[in-house]
Amino acid sequence: MSPGRSVGIEAAERRLARRLVAPALGVILLIALFPLGWTVWESLHLHDLRMPWRGEPFVGLANYVEMAGDPRFWAAMGHTFFFTAVTVALELVLGLFLALAMNRAFRGRGLVRAAVLVPWAIPTVVSALLWRFLFDAEAGIANAVLLDVGLIEEPIVWFVHTATAWVPVILADVWKTTPFVALLLLAGLQNIDSALYEAAAVDGAGPWWQLRHITLPQLKPAILVVLIFRTLDAFRVFDLIYVLTGGGPGTATEPISLYAFNALLQNLRFGYGSALSVAVFLTTFLIALLYIRGLGVDLGGTAE
Amino acid sequence: MRASRAAAAALLLLPLACGGADDRPVITLPGSAVGAEAELLRRQIDRFTKEHPGIRVELQRTPDDATQRHQLYVQRLNARSDDPDILQLDVIWTPEFAAAGWLLPLDRFDADTTAFFRPTVEANVWDDTLYAIPWFVDVGMLYWRTDLLDAPPETMEALVEAARRGKRPAEAVTRGIVWQGARYEGLVTVFLEYLGGFGGEILADDGTVVVDSPEAVEALSFMRDQIHRWDVAPEQVLTWHEEETRFAFQNGTAVMMRNWPYAYALMSGEDSRVAGRFAVAPMPAAPGGEPTVALGGSQLAISAHSDAPEHAWALLEFLTAPEQMLERAVVAGQFPTRPALFDDPALDEVLAIPAERAREIIERATARPVTPIYTQLSEILQIQLHRALVGQAEPADALETAAEGMRRAIEETGVRDLRRREGAR
Repeated sequence: MSPGRSVGIEAAERRLARRLVAPALGVILLIALFPLGWTVWESLHLHDLRMPWRGEPFVGLANYVEMAGDPRFWAAMGHTFFFTAVTVALELVLGLFLALAMNRAFRGRGLVRAAVLVPWAIPTVVSALLWRFLFDAEAGIANAVLLDVGLIEEPIVWFVHTATAWVPVILADVWKTTPFVALLLLAGLQNIDSALYEAAAVDGAGPWWQLRHITLPQLKPAILVVLIFRTLDAFRVFDLIYVLTGGGPGTATEPISLYAFNALLQNLRFGYGSALSVAVFLTTFLIALLYIRGLGVDLGGTAE
Repeated sequence: MRASRAAAAALLLLPLACGGADDRPVITLPGSAVGAEAELLRRQIDRFTKEHPGIRVELQRTPDDATQRHQLYVQRLNARSDDPDILQLDVIWTPEFAAAGWLLPLDRFDADTTAFFRPTVEANVWDDTLYAIPWFVDVGMLYWRTDLLDAPPETMEALVEAARRGKRPAEAVTRGIVWQGARYEGLVTVFLEYLGGFGGEILADDGTVVVDSPEAVEALSFMRDQIHRWDVAPEQVLTWHEEETRFAFQNGTAVMMRNWPYAYALMSGEDSRVAGRFAVAPMPAAPGGEPTVALGGSQLAISAHSDAPEHAWALLEFLTAPEQMLERAVVAGQFPTRPALFDDPALDEVLAIPAERAREIIERATARPVTPIYTQLSEILQIQLHRALVGQAEPADALETAAEGMRRAIEETGVRDLRRREGAR
């Protein structure tokens, strides 16, 4: 077969490939890039539904300038980063414990694995209402338990103080999402070659050494996947806080998505709300990029 | 986009088209889906369809929470959906929806607006055009326990004193007074009443923001001190809406409660622990202020995208007719918006207060600012009120921040409170 002919076939194959991929690309363009582009376009305009007579003039970066000088925006960003850092850290540690426990062979393991998923299967709004009720100042079980144990003398009105309002928010997220993290890590654990542990045991390595030098390094890809999923999810937190605290007291627990939602659907400021949405997108994109670069290096083969 | 939307709509409509039996025009009306009110509405709609067999009315369930209903309407109307035809608007939404072009001007139907309370009509006029008909009117009132107090307090000092004196911890009456303190629209109405009681206003008559006045600081400090200084209001009120305060009062745990008229009928029922042991009064006032009641209530408007506005108007007219209003007052305790009905002896029997007195109160009720950017102004105020009440900020600083934010919003949008005029306060 002559080289020219082979090139011809390859080119034809490539053309075919392009044609086959085209519909999928088109769909992605339509459902992902089009709304994104639209939002960016909106964010460069003054678009206020309450005042249609002002039209939708192009205002350049005015919405972004306003955002940069908006203390509520920066506060919301701060709350979002705080929520993300705390919940992702807790979920990773607890999820790892759960995964290690579930990875051992014991009777009823399948049942435990299924049961662990229950919080994850409950819709967020439902679980948020559940936690709201648990932390109700009067009828809530949280106060009842703390009073019984003697840790507090007066019932705490959880949703009125900044510090205590975060407690149910973070607990609810950790409760709901740790099972998901655990399952992802469990899958990672099961991919580790058991020969490594056998060899280590022969060499007299204890469980702690095995965890640090075999399990964790081997689990790194899975951990990175968990981190990227959870960070992006946590950063866009909306429904949980919308139901639990509504962003209060004041705006002390308001995440950036909730602020953007308010600007859009409550105050009908589509231009400014879109700018806030673009800020959420850019930040999550940046986070994803940072993680993927980290992940990419590992996949390139520098990991042991 | 448009083509795909049309395709989706066609798919959705397919079963209807196949059914084919009922081709009467359909008027959709959103409303509460539960309780006595839903039943009442269904009954009234039945009567309407008997009178107008050519029209089919569809009652749509919508959330009772005003904020959620607002979001639902915004999504539908902004998408130019012709459904629902009739909108049930909170008293503060009409200018916003009218300015956005979402409401049908009602001038063409020649409604007789003089038959309604003036403040309720004014709230529904935007740019000299009538956009909604007042359906029922709400006024804030002070509920008090007749077995614990001799008379309702008339001054702010007396309010604190009564709240303190009326408590009976041994009988589980642990709360002096309860009100709506969560961060939502209800908090603004509560604040409005204390504000008027101390002689302050949110906007001055010329439309300038005066919510950082010394009177306003005094009013907000008074609310905060009820919780943190005098311990007559529980801290929980800062998470409470109307219903939580009603539960507290109805279970007999509070001496006084600020709430709307709807609570009266519910608390007079058999399952109420305070039935027959409470009465209502206007909110008290400090020297220099006057007893103030916040004006609330519901309006009916027609969507600008309605495909059958004439039929929608027929239903709207029917629902706001004297007969239906009177029935609503009897069943749900909601005040009619027609002053003439207050002469009806039937009304006298069912209202929380003597009808003549109710009429006076409504005529003097304090409207919230009438402006398309009300929701934004209110949100700014709600946040700062809540911050001061939970102790994140001093009342004076919080109100200053709120006033600055409101001024900026008014300036940026160029919208002033156009409808304010003398005598409206």
